[in-house]
Amino acid sequence: MNRLLKHNTTLIKFWCLQGNARLLNSKIPPIPVVKLTDENNLPPQTKINQETIELLERLSLVDFANKRGIERLEDAIKFADLIRGIDTSGVEPMISVLEDRTLYLRDDIVTEGNCRKEVMSNAAVTEEEYFVAPQGNIPLIPRDSLLNDNKSSKQK
Amino acid sequence: MTVIYNGRKYAFAFAITTLFTRRCSFCTTNVSTDSGNFILRKVKPSSSQIARYTNEAIFKNKTRSHWKAVVGLEVHAQITSTSKLFSGAGTEFGAPVNTNVSLFDAAIPGTLPVLNRRCVEAGVLTALALSCRVNPVSVFDRKHYFYADLPAGYQITQHRLPLAQEGELEFHVFIPDVHHKPYIKKSCIKQLQLEQDSGKLLHDEEACRSLVDLSRAGIPLMELVFEPDLEDGEEAAALVKELILILQCLGTCSCKMEEGALRVDANVSVHREGEPLGVRSEVKNIGSIRAVAHAVKYEIDRQVRTLESGGVVVNETRAWDTDSRQTVPMRDKEEKQDYRYMPEPNLPPLRVLLNGQHAIPDIKKDCVNVDCLRRKLPELPRETREKLINQYGISAESAVILVNENNLLKHFYGIMGEKKSRDPKLSTNILIMELLTILNKNKLSLETSPFSSYSLGEVVDLLQSKKVNLVTARKLLQEIVSGNPQSPSEMVEKYGWAQITDSSEIEDVCTAVIEQNPRLVEQFCAGKTKVFNSLVGKVAKITENRANMALVVKVLRDKLSKIQNS
Amino acid sequence: MLSLSIRQISRKLKDGALLPSDVCAACLYQAEKLKTLNMFVRLTKEVAEIQAKEADSRYKNGNIRCLLDGIPVAVKDNYCTLNVETTCSSQMLENFKPQYNATMVQKLQNAGAVLLGKCNMDEFAMGSGTVDSIHGPSKNIWQSGKCATSIEHVHSVKVKCREFYQLSPPSSKGSCSTVEEDDWFIAGGSSGGSAVAVASGTVFAALGSDTGGSTRNPAAYCGVVGLKPSYGLLSRHGLIPLVNSMDVPGILTRTVDDAVTLLNVLAGYDPLDSTTIRDDFIPLDLSQDIDISKMRIGIPQEYHCPGISDEVLETWSEVADILEKAGAEVVSVSMPHTPSSIACYSVLNQCEVASNMARYDGIEFGLRTAENRSTEELYASTRSQGFNEIVRGRILAGNYFLLQRNYSQYFVQALKVRRLIAQDFARVWSSGIDVLLTPTTLTDAPRYSQFISRDNREQCASQDYCTQPANMAGCPAVTIPIKLSKQGLPLSLQLMSQNYRENLLLAIARWIESVVDFPHLELDI
Repeated sequence: MNRLLKHNTTLIKFWCLQGNARLLNSKIPPIPVVKLTDENNLPPQTKINQETIELLERLSLVDFANKRGIERLEDAIKFADLIRGIDTSGVEPMISVLEDRTLYLRDDIVTEGNCRKEVMSNAAVTEEEYFVAPQGNIPLIPRDSLLNDNKSSKQK
Repeated sequence: MTVIYNGRKYAFAFAITTLFTRRCSFCTTNVSTDSGNFILRKVKPSSSQIARYTNEAIFKNKTRSHWKAVVGLEVHAQITSTSKLFSGAGTEFGAPVNTNVSLFDAAIPGTLPVLNRRCVEAGVLTALALSCRVNPVSVFDRKHYFYADLPAGYQITQHRLPLAQEGELEFHVFIPDVHHKPYIKKSCIKQLQLEQDSGKLLHDEEACRSLVDLSRAGIPLMELVFEPDLEDGEEAAALVKELILILQCLGTCSCKMEEGALRVDANVSVHREGEPLGVRSEVKNIGSIRAVAHAVKYEIDRQVRTLESGGVVVNETRAWDTDSRQTVPMRDKEEKQDYRYMPEPNLPPLRVLLNGQHAIPDIKKDCVNVDCLRRKLPELPRETREKLINQYGISAESAVILVNENNLLKHFYGIMGEKKSRDPKLSTNILIMELLTILNKNKLSLETSPFSSYSLGEVVDLLQSKKVNLVTARKLLQEIVSGNPQSPSEMVEKYGWAQITDSSEIEDVCTAVIEQNPRLVEQFCAGKTKVFNSLVGKVAKITENRANMALVVKVLRDKLSKIQNS
Repeated sequence: MLSLSIRQISRKLKDGALLPSDVCAACLYQAEKLKTLNMFVRLTKEVAEIQAKEADSRYKNGNIRCLLDGIPVAVKDNYCTLNVETTCSSQMLENFKPQYNATMVQKLQNAGAVLLGKCNMDEFAMGSGTVDSIHGPSKNIWQSGKCATSIEHVHSVKVKCREFYQLSPPSSKGSCSTVEEDDWFIAGGSSGGSAVAVASGTVFAALGSDTGGSTRNPAAYCGVVGLKPSYGLLSRHGLIPLVNSMDVPGILTRTVDDAVTLLNVLAGYDPLDSTTIRDDFIPLDLSQDIDISKMRIGIPQEYHCPGISDEVLETWSEVADILEKAGAEVVSVSMPHTPSSIACYSVLNQCEVASNMARYDGIEFGLRTAENRSTEELYASTRSQGFNEIVRGRILAGNYFLLQRNYSQYFVQALKVRRLIAQDFARVWSSGIDVLLTPTTLTDAPRYSQFISRDNREQCASQDYCTQPANMAGCPAVTIPIKLSKQGLPLSLQLMSQNYRENLLLAIARWIESVVDFPHLELDI
């Protein structure tokens, strides 16, 4: 084992120093083995319209319904489209690698709670024992058209 | 005034409500005058048609028969458990603000859900009682929307593959004074799912903010989604009543609607017969069984009114306002909502054991065994009713009433259990007709009244053996209800309330009454048969209501007919 | 002292040659010295000193808890630590003080380990460079001018590098605390801080997290051992999630042996995490050397992807040679769905992100702006300020894929592709392969300027290529440093084995480690 070690260390050093290109191990593929995505297989690139971005913004509330947001989104969709052409007929979705295992059930006893102080310790605004929220169910104030590059959204 | 759904009687009531579009009350006492005015107002523009529009004609044209309503209920029942669905926080109602809250319930980052076994068992028991198909594998999903009472921004529920599906609930629709007899209605259950309850918001209008209490957040709920196979508010109310009986019987839900332990949402739509289904609206915030009937009825009427006046029914969520007794639009919680259901990644699939199937190695003894639970099912209300009818021979209506009122049923069993020879029909009459009336009169309730079935049983015995008459029995019940510690037999002894059944005694009294009331006798013989009751009343008064009234009536009639014929 | 393994330092502590406080002091000093590498978000100096003192008494009294007792460690800043800020390198949680310990943290504490600090990361673990952090980027200690390496030629290489590359100043993206003249090499991500902390000898072990390679990637760039255990083996309770169905706590150490020590402390069922497996965990024992000639090593063809550097390729080949020469059977295998893994991951990742991030609204915890016109306005304002664009972009995309109309062709399709990838692995294992040998990253550590020239998504897409599939299948994977590149940066390789076969995986890893004798940094003060 030690002999082998010394031998190989020397070999590695040799190769490092020389920086030679050499023949690869036969099992290592010499060239990339990637199935190029068939361009025809891809669905047409999705363009996001005003309605969709407004819907998404309402569902996301990240103030990103602007040009930059749309660009990112369209890019993400384009990348995701790579999987749409894959043949998955007869394949069941795999939600979790633990799908064959079963859910642990705990006993019905009180083991938590009664820790209001801890639960509320990180809340920025509280009112006595309550959390505080503004009034809800008021739709977002309409933003400017999506063509504006909204600089007010944080760029870090 | 209870509204009834048949023929003209209903059309009448229905017409009134349509005419009262601006009136927000169900007060229908001044019906005739107001409706008359209204009709005049309405047809004013076209005077030539006035003649044609008589009350009856309008009512006939607007008979309800061409409108059909479709009602589907969604019921959220809080599962009775010590701790929450996914966390170990407590669940008792009315706990101080934000105390029954664990870090997970407040959606603190990094916390994870752990499922409570009791909740699964409760769900399975309920599913079995409702003849549902329990799924051997079910999955939890996240339902996403933003609201201040939902700290995680999503609710964990079971959308795609719930705990149970395809069940049915059979129930009697029967309101005394409304229906001749109960009819059986069946509503199918689409699915039964386990899910989290949300927190509570206290709206502070002045300060334009909401105060958030998360004690309720994460409390386990069973959601029961019924198919839209009901037709009116009474059916809806009856369904809820039966469901409550079952859940209370199983012990899986307290069903205290006033505490929010059971919440009913109604999906209502109307359409003309033969036409496609109409747009539905959802009615929430219904706080009692009767409110279910009222709210559904109101919404049906509102939709019909809207459509008949050329309006359009909007797909929206409305709230039942108990004060004004109408449904009002809720602030639109949804707009264009997409809940983006996604499987909950922190919870592997829930497996339950069915039909003695072999457990996969991982399960061991933790798994919920459905067959085991099935064997533990208690006698369900439907079965109780059948037993009452078959075993005791009482009527279907009585069976419905007894089962609806658990305390009454307990008394019934108490009475019959003590002495099998007691007449069940008599016993039910005493309970349903007499006892309840007296309790109402005294403004008492069954739950809080401290008397026992023994006393009631004695009264039954005394009646059955004709030792007392019905009037005396009522007196005895009154004493019992008031808390008189003496037994009924003792009271009869003490106050001398024994029934007079001696025919000669009765003869004497009747003779005396006839003699003392020649004028009434004359009137009777002249054909005014109503005065007979007065004569009977006089006999009753003299005998201090102790005479056997059936005998009295017989004797009096005999005597009077003799007089008539002579 | 700082380059010792855990076993070795533990020996010294046991023998009384050192006290835990001494070690702790040395590590704190090292941390201070290497401050510009920005590996820590926060040093928990007081906590560490208290814990070290407690360990002192334990050692004096002979109540040693285990190998880890008194050993300084660090955890990534997405592990909840009781009363210590846990920021996830995001403004959203900048002042968040959890009221509980993550199970992993608690286990370390129970073992007597000394918590030195919270390590820097990409914001919410979204990134593969540890450059997208509100605390500024972390820098690779290799070629940073902070340490020498044991191989002499690297000095000359380094000089050549400095001459060769135009030293362009780093861009304004991210706030560097000190702008050095050199364009430094990235630490990798998203557990970059943890990797540098271990590589620099500041700690003896660190916790990272691994969702698509976030532990293995920086481990590879920083020349340390990065272990991603099987999904379900370690508890995620208290680990602020990125993708719940793929996240695993990651272990970073300088040797495979140390990784085993950590694993033995951390693994096991946790009733607070329903995604941990309930099988009893049998602690690994690698005391017996394995017989490498009995092993079957698989070389998946598809892992040679475009962009892979010649050096990585050579390294891959060399180790394959070494194994073959030792008698192992090295076999070419095919895992045809490998190229789809990244795109599939992008969908699942973004969907989970959209969901997991929904809780950040400022009401119960975290950043809260002064906006109070409505709940919606408050949420939007808080979230746009608290999250960087990467996070926000992923939320939008995730919600897009989860829309009812898109659910089937994106989310469900991705789950199906996930099964295909997992089936690739299953097929390999059932054909008798013991471990797979692949590259970890496509190149050695990139320079910062080069790294930020491509956007976050592109970076992840290429850098995560070889590491991501293991997360899809949930199988354990470990990266070990093999040799140095021409630039004098570490080159590493990855091994993967069947789920829950960490014993086999790490035994083979250890064998390779001993053979290649990677030239570690000189760490002692």
